[in-house]
Amino acid sequence: MIRKLTQWIMLLGWLLTIPLGVSAFEPTKTVEGVVHTAPGGGSDILARAIAEMLQKEKLITQRLQVVNKSGGGSAVAMAYLAEKKGDNHVIGFFTGVWVTNPLTTKEATVTIKDLTPIVRLVLEPAVVAVKADSPYKSMKDFVEAAKKNPGQLRQSGGSVTGRDNLVRLVIEKATGAKWVFVSFPGGGERIANLLGGHVQMMVMEPQEAGEHIKAGNLRVIAALTENRLPFFPDVPTLKEQGIDVPVIPQARGVVAPPGVGSDVVSYWDGVFSRFAKTPSWKKYLNDNQFEDGYLTGNNLNKFFDDLTVQMRDVLKEAGVKVMR
Amino acid sequence: MDPTTAMIMMAGIYYGAKYGGSTTSILLNVPGESSSVVTCLDGYQLARQGRAGAALGIAAISSFVAGTFGVLGLMFLAPPVAKFALRFGPPEYFALMVLGLAMVAFLTGTSVVKGILATLVGLWLAGVGTDVFTAQSRFTFGRMELLDGIDFIVVSIGLFAIGEVLVNLESKTGGEIFKIPKGLRNLLPSLQDLKDSRFAFLNGSVVGFFIGILPGAGSTIASFLSYGLEKAVSRRPDKFGTGVIEGVAAPEGANNSETGGSLVPLLTLGIPGSSTTAILLGALFLWGFRPGPLLIQENPSLFWGLVASMYVGNVMLLILNLPLVPLFAQILRVPYFVLYPIIFGISIVGVYSVSQSLFDVWMLGVFGLLGYAMRKLDFPAAPLVLGMVLGERLELALRQSLMMSQGQLSILIASPLSSGMLLLAGILLLIPMFNRVRSWRVKAIEQEL
Repeated sequence: MIRKLTQWIMLLGWLLTIPLGVSAFEPTKTVEGVVHTAPGGGSDILARAIAEMLQKEKLITQRLQVVNKSGGGSAVAMAYLAEKKGDNHVIGFFTGVWVTNPLTTKEATVTIKDLTPIVRLVLEPAVVAVKADSPYKSMKDFVEAAKKNPGQLRQSGGSVTGRDNLVRLVIEKATGAKWVFVSFPGGGERIANLLGGHVQMMVMEPQEAGEHIKAGNLRVIAALTENRLPFFPDVPTLKEQGIDVPVIPQARGVVAPPGVGSDVVSYWDGVFSRFAKTPSWKKYLNDNQFEDGYLTGNNLNKFFDDLTVQMRDVLKEAGVKVMR
Repeated sequence: MDPTTAMIMMAGIYYGAKYGGSTTSILLNVPGESSSVVTCLDGYQLARQGRAGAALGIAAISSFVAGTFGVLGLMFLAPPVAKFALRFGPPEYFALMVLGLAMVAFLTGTSVVKGILATLVGLWLAGVGTDVFTAQSRFTFGRMELLDGIDFIVVSIGLFAIGEVLVNLESKTGGEIFKIPKGLRNLLPSLQDLKDSRFAFLNGSVVGFFIGILPGAGSTIASFLSYGLEKAVSRRPDKFGTGVIEGVAAPEGANNSETGGSLVPLLTLGIPGSSTTAILLGALFLWGFRPGPLLIQENPSLFWGLVASMYVGNVMLLILNLPLVPLFAQILRVPYFVLYPIIFGISIVGVYSVSQSLFDVWMLGVFGLLGYAMRKLDFPAAPLVLGMVLGERLELALRQSLMMSQGQLSILIASPLSSGMLLLAGILLLIPMFNRVRSWRVKAIEQEL
């Protein structure tokens, strides 16, 4: 059923493509694009959008089929990629979880450094949202309330190693406040539980919040970025509110399995360098209020190294058991 | 393609596939969708009695009636109903899952204990895979393939389709397993069938719609709940499972009404309730819409186009399917030595196509043997499937609730909604026991006389 729908979307995209071939390596069959979320998750939506745009802009000649390997944070998807060692027809869509999950999960033996980096495409800003009728007008209010009633306030979010939980951990550490983090595997349920008043706060993407703010359902009380966001010029950053914690980036991009040839890497390099300049990608970034995070090669490798070190520190600081 | 047209096409596929699942369930005992497992129970028995046409027909009619109800609900009730759905937090979901599990009381055959045992095995199977909260792997025996858990479709096709074929292979008579439908009268539902299904139409419509609006509950739960409800209020509950027409009408209706319901949170709040609606959400993004609370207001043509298309789709389902019903029913004329290999083939291809994994095909074999053993030992298969469907969300909701309350169990009954559902579950579980005591007393009185 789901497959049928996906295949129809794929077919629609495919009908629009015309073969185009210059590079040394060219996919000769359908390429699998592995994501670690179920259909509808952030990674899944982005991957499907990229697949659609790659085909619309005629940048790839074969279908890019999104394959959902959810489970174990990102362990299932990453292990799947590791198993596909040397397979030229598989790519994976990474997020920050792919860096943090192996740090905290013993079973997650594949790290981002085992995979072949291709490109970082997106840096996602985040905001803290509460219900529009909630008494908290700023993050400071929320933290004060959490201090007064430790463990009484709740935050909805995704995986325990995801950015939303890390944000909680660093703020708790810095301020001494304590509140509860409730995991929901589906992005929809997180917002539903916030709107329904079952939790009081959620870390979300500006785009997710945008429509609900317009409709008067939600209020944004802090920007989780270095500088104020262009879409929320009146919302102060955490630092401005006197909560001095490191900004935790959420990056998204593409990796390949271990052991793929350099011709494959340069093929994807070429595809994505052209892709990052297309008007449809620029429009997509803008529509979703993403930052362009284009980064490749050694710089991307360095980004992964730095992020791993930063995350390890953040997790240790917050008292999470770090495995590796 | 114009975005509204594209959305209509995708919703149409969603819609049509929902109905399609019933055909193989009734004719071959192969549940093509998790939501049509319940349809197998009575649908396949009807087919064996030569009433496949009636079963297929009632599935189409019920889908039409309930599907139309679902669209009406979407049209008139969407905003207030979406607000109601938001009242469901983890404790309410927990109560809903318990209510679903209480349905086991209506799915067991002769022995309640055997039904409960089968449910427990189902709950255990649901636990296989990676723990969502701690990322620990459970019962995976080091197999990567099991990290994602066991696919529901593998279990249900194994238990139902393969198990059934294996049991029938045993019969040396080799004679007629299906009565071949004769005469026009048996090719479509009779007036009596429609009369018997009156309540089922309503039940399926309402249950399906309300389960549909709850993000994450899903059509499988809707179909089980409406079947259980149908049996609970039926005047002939003992006949369920032997081929009663309303046992097909209720779950098939719920299944289709759920479609309308599941579009409510998607279109009014931008919240996808199932993986299928999540794909629709992704498609909305791709076509440049901003799904959220303002979607209907800002894009009325999309919303009303979709609603109109669903009416048309409903009528089309009926027009396309009713004339084809006699044709489909002819498949039962195929001799069993041809039909069984075909069922095996369909099952294996179907299971393989879910995740292109040979491991799944082997598991299909294992569950086929389990299904055979369960049939031989008179264990009902449906409770196992029910336990498996509900297990994952039950655990999730329970643990989320306890996270919220920091371990206080009282959160589970704190809201009137959850305590109400838990109470209802308790009552449902007790109904068969009352019946048992009553029949026992009746027997005792008869003996005294």
